[in-house]
Amino acid sequence: MAEQKNSVLPRGAVRKEFNKAIEKFRALLGGENVLVNADQLAPYNKVMMSVENAAHAASAALTATTVEQVQGVVRICNEHKIPIWTISTGRNFGYGSAAPIQRGQVILDLKKMNKIIKIDAEMCYALVEPGVTYGQLYDYIETNKLPLMLSFSAPSAIAGPLGNTMDRGVGYTPYGEHFMMQCGMEVVLANGDIYRTGMGGVKGSNTWQIFKWGFGPTLDGMFTQANYGITTKMGFWLMPKPPVYKPFEVIFDNEEDIVQIVDILRPLRISGTIPNSVVIANVLWEAGSAHLRRSQYITEPGHTPDPILKKMQQDTGMGAWNLYAALYGTQEQVDADWKIVVDAFKKLGKGRIVTQTEAGDTQPFKYRAELMSGVPNLQEFGLYNWRGGGGSMWFAPVSEARGSECEKQARLAKRILHKHGLDYVAEFIVGPRDMHHVIDMLFDRTDAEETKRADACFNELLDEFEKEGYAVYRVNTRFQQRVAQSYGSVKRDVEHAIKRALDPNNILAPGRSGIDLDTYKKT
Amino acid sequence: MSVNRRFVLKGAALSSIGLTVDGFIPALAASSEAPIDDATAKPMLVLVNEGRAESMFLSGVRAAAKTPLRVQKVGRDLGFMLDFERRLRHGRPMRVIGLLDDASATLIIDMARSGGARMQWLGQHTAEDGFTRHHVLSTDMTEGCSRQFSRLLHACGDAFTLNEERQNGPVAPRQLTGRSRKAGQAAQWASSTGYLLASIGARTKLAAPLAPAANTPVTGSFVSFSIDA
Repeated sequence: MAEQKNSVLPRGAVRKEFNKAIEKFRALLGGENVLVNADQLAPYNKVMMSVENAAHAASAALTATTVEQVQGVVRICNEHKIPIWTISTGRNFGYGSAAPIQRGQVILDLKKMNKIIKIDAEMCYALVEPGVTYGQLYDYIETNKLPLMLSFSAPSAIAGPLGNTMDRGVGYTPYGEHFMMQCGMEVVLANGDIYRTGMGGVKGSNTWQIFKWGFGPTLDGMFTQANYGITTKMGFWLMPKPPVYKPFEVIFDNEEDIVQIVDILRPLRISGTIPNSVVIANVLWEAGSAHLRRSQYITEPGHTPDPILKKMQQDTGMGAWNLYAALYGTQEQVDADWKIVVDAFKKLGKGRIVTQTEAGDTQPFKYRAELMSGVPNLQEFGLYNWRGGGGSMWFAPVSEARGSECEKQARLAKRILHKHGLDYVAEFIVGPRDMHHVIDMLFDRTDAEETKRADACFNELLDEFEKEGYAVYRVNTRFQQRVAQSYGSVKRDVEHAIKRALDPNNILAPGRSGIDLDTYKKT
Repeated sequence: MSVNRRFVLKGAALSSIGLTVDGFIPALAASSEAPIDDATAKPMLVLVNEGRAESMFLSGVRAAAKTPLRVQKVGRDLGFMLDFERRLRHGRPMRVIGLLDDASATLIIDMARSGGARMQWLGQHTAEDGFTRHHVLSTDMTEGCSRQFSRLLHACGDAFTLNEERQNGPVAPRQLTGRSRKAGQAAQWASSTGYLLASIGARTKLAAPLAPAANTPVTGSFVSFSIDA
């Protein structure tokens, strides 16, 4: 076999040694599962971050089909000190896409490990491999007429439960906090051992997907947003499909209404009256999702001024904030909860309630209603057309579900984004006590100056939010090292101590969440 | 609703044409070691949205194509995307080129990745009044294309910047710029992009023929690509 001409190598790797590893990968996986040519690797390199594609170019990509092959890959990586970046479906768009965190890492793509191992409709759970998509699961459930409902993030059908959960992603149903619904993982460790969490280590156990905790330390969370192992199976709970589902929207005209919206929602969420992960989307998130483009309203560079936003509201009927929620249950339950919800908003004296009957097929209501009931769609990709140019980075600070806090974060973010000539395109995803304040920073990657501004803006957002005691719960691969610092040195020391114990050769995704034995210096 | 619903490419095709063009000189292929006929032997699928830039792109494609084309209008329909991925994974060999909006292109490129396709070219284009910007990710197969693209842009008359990154190449991108000239063919860049992509691996003329209405500007953000399945 000819030596590779690929000029991208893993950090610190020597060409000859790398080629030896490639030959071993070929022997293990078959030549068709070892990708080294530029045109094979280019599809893994469409990044949307404020940096050159080259910074996240892979040296190779591997596809494995079995757990044994994953073990074999890990063995070869240890032998040759090759770092690997594992992806399941790789659809982590605003958080870094499929590209590795560091130039030269070898991608281990688990898309071909895509078996739905089990769906138990009585116990309401699934056990899947990494490459299983929500679309596959949706088809399986529909085809077999199972009384179950999925919860997924906006890329829905094309993303997968394992990857989304391992990154601690969220969906929009009552099961929207995905890691909370996870139950049982199988993890290939850096030494090749196979570790099963929870009840999974008990021979003959039938409760692996039933009972999370098992005995002794519970380590599931340690493998999420981390680089301590490669998850090859994951169980998760599925929501029984309710007999009645009632989605609704409440439209608020003014930005400052966010305070009252959140304060009225919180008790409804904590009590479980509104059980799902509610969304409060601002006008620009709505506009993008409805496939409006900025150029329809303004062509001047910079942020979109408030009078234009008001004009958009007038033209479209969208609110400054648009709350989407749903009720689930029997008719009696939904009727009772609906009365509580309507009374609460009536008492508030503002907000226009829109039901599914009133909304019909209008967007964005339709796609929101689908997402809240586990029906996949790709509507939200329209956001990428709002400004255009291929740049998108999600800034996602956590907030208390307290009106004054949400307003403070919204104002702070908007001020910083506008300072850098970018738009505040945001939604709050409402947990009972927390908010995921997700801001899609959209920019034009063809414009070097704007890309530089976006980079500076993201850094300033991180800095200024940190000064106020805020931090993001998740971030794209360009900023993971920076965000890790927000969480303190002791946490980082512990994380690296674990890394040294489990992966002394630093082969598993070095750099993930700022964990990298080669660069970390204990403070 | 099942996300597994099929779309029938044949029925949905906007047009299907076969073009034979003669009198070519080696241009793009001359700078590549890739076999000239490999890419062109495959049937070509052209993906576009609706709009003037896309029509211009098609005009360029048609001027260069040596193989029968199928032209497919693309939205963000889930069924289409999943079926496209399936076709890449299991279907007959084909070349797919296109000019799409950011949202559609994000999905198509990702389907290409999961479908195991090869991508020779990924271009991000922004066209403003009197100015265009282009960011290209190229490969060995499209070596020389950026230089050719730069020449084509120069011929359009509008000022432009073109940044090229080579997959597997050095970290620093190559930067090319062109000043504004009075050629008055502001929309020709889209046609030239189509011409260039349809010519990859083929022997073709150096200059893209002038598209109809090339003097009416098209503005916006677009993504071009060349994929091999």
